[in-house]
Amino acid sequence: MLKNGQCNLNAFLRFLAICLLLQVAPSVVAQTTTGVVRGTISDESGQPVANASVTATSIDSGQKQTANTGTDGTYKLDLPAGNYRLTFEATGFKTFEISSATVSATVPEVLDGKLEKGEPVNGKPAATQQDNLPNAPSSSTAPSLSDLGLTPEQTQGNPREQALLDKRTHMLKIHQRMGLITTIPLIATVVTSLNAGGKNTSTASRDLHTALGGLTGDLYCITAYYAIRAPRVPGTETRGPIRFHKIMAWIHGPGMIATPILGIMAFDQRNKGEKVHGIAQAHGPVAIVTAGAFVAALLSVSVKF
Amino acid sequence: MSKKMLIVFLLMTIPTFAADSQWVLKQSTLTYHVSHPLHESEGVSHAARGKGVCHDGQCDFLIAVAVKSFDSGDSSRDLHMVQVTRGAEFPIVTVRTRLPESAASSETINADLEIQFAGRTAQYKKVPFKVEKQGGETHITGTIPATLSDFKIDPPSLLTMPVKNDIPVRVDMTWRPQ
Repeated sequence: MLKNGQCNLNAFLRFLAICLLLQVAPSVVAQTTTGVVRGTISDESGQPVANASVTATSIDSGQKQTANTGTDGTYKLDLPAGNYRLTFEATGFKTFEISSATVSATVPEVLDGKLEKGEPVNGKPAATQQDNLPNAPSSSTAPSLSDLGLTPEQTQGNPREQALLDKRTHMLKIHQRMGLITTIPLIATVVTSLNAGGKNTSTASRDLHTALGGLTGDLYCITAYYAIRAPRVPGTETRGPIRFHKIMAWIHGPGMIATPILGIMAFDQRNKGEKVHGIAQAHGPVAIVTAGAFVAALLSVSVKF
Repeated sequence: MSKKMLIVFLLMTIPTFAADSQWVLKQSTLTYHVSHPLHESEGVSHAARGKGVCHDGQCDFLIAVAVKSFDSGDSSRDLHMVQVTRGAEFPIVTVRTRLPESAASSETINADLEIQFAGRTAQYKKVPFKVEKQGGETHITGTIPATLSDFKIDPPSLLTMPVKNDIPVRVDMTWRPQ
């Protein structure tokens, strides 16, 4: 009976581990794999431009990679997934720039460039598609950003801050997924508690409850790690539902530490054939409050009340 | 050049300069709407700046708003919005359009818009706006049918469910001639 119970428990834990890996693996792999950028460079008449250079500059790290087009005007760049600025240059043509392109590991990015005849203009983005609009603003009278009183500091981008935000979002996405995964063993732990504490319950039921509780605790720690380690953005005041989400963390956080400690005490007492007594009696109520706060935290950012 | 000729010349040039006029955005409310299977959310900004310069019967308008100025009522969601729209790298959204000067006196205008956002440029043709005259000011309302894919923005997801591609932007602006 006990062996069967342990066997089932092992199989269940293996199943949960596989589920966990399947959920987490894509986001981890996405960071380390490379993507492809390819396309065709042509002139104004649509003829391919051979031997044009295509430079991809990582917006995050500043690293550059260059490729040249072949006789058919095509190029291909293998790049680590991320955000890039692409510059297309060829002798006798104006420089053409795509200020931002996202390279993902899953789908190849196709970026074609059309070069205009003339002297290269370094550092200035080419006017892409600007003249297509029938009533596009004329350059002679159209107001500029400085006419609106915007300073260069207000209009210039900050790649470092963008990288910080990217990292924050990446970590919080894992936090979110792990939080969802943690909910499964959390509910299972609460359900199995019904058979874990009674007088006639078997050791296997208690073992299953303990194992699920342990798994919940481990997954919870990983979930909490990604929230705690996600970079803070200076000058941001916490407002809205996320405030409630964080307040709940102050309840389920300590609860996730106290619950297993009290649980071990209760487990020992039950295994000795004793009735659960003393502070160990708080295991159940503390666990319920902890699970409730966890679910409330989850719902606070999921559903608009 | 005699004084008379100089006066005649000045009188001739005055109407030309007088024909040029400018418009200034007095106040504005821009609201984007995001739909998610679990809930809907809106982000509002009152921080847009705008100017219109008219010449030869045509007015060029530029409206600019900081991406960070949109407030959805949740600081985490706002930061996430800035991240997915690359708002730190491209902090300003600009809207350009060209309209005939006579548009101010019509009840509706269909504007061709050129919007720069998230490092991309998208064009929207014949976007209808309602025009109301209020004293010396002109009140313009309408909705820009923007989508995430127009700007190659990956739809952000919550609980592994992505938001809808449509992010219509409601526009409510009051312009004043200068």
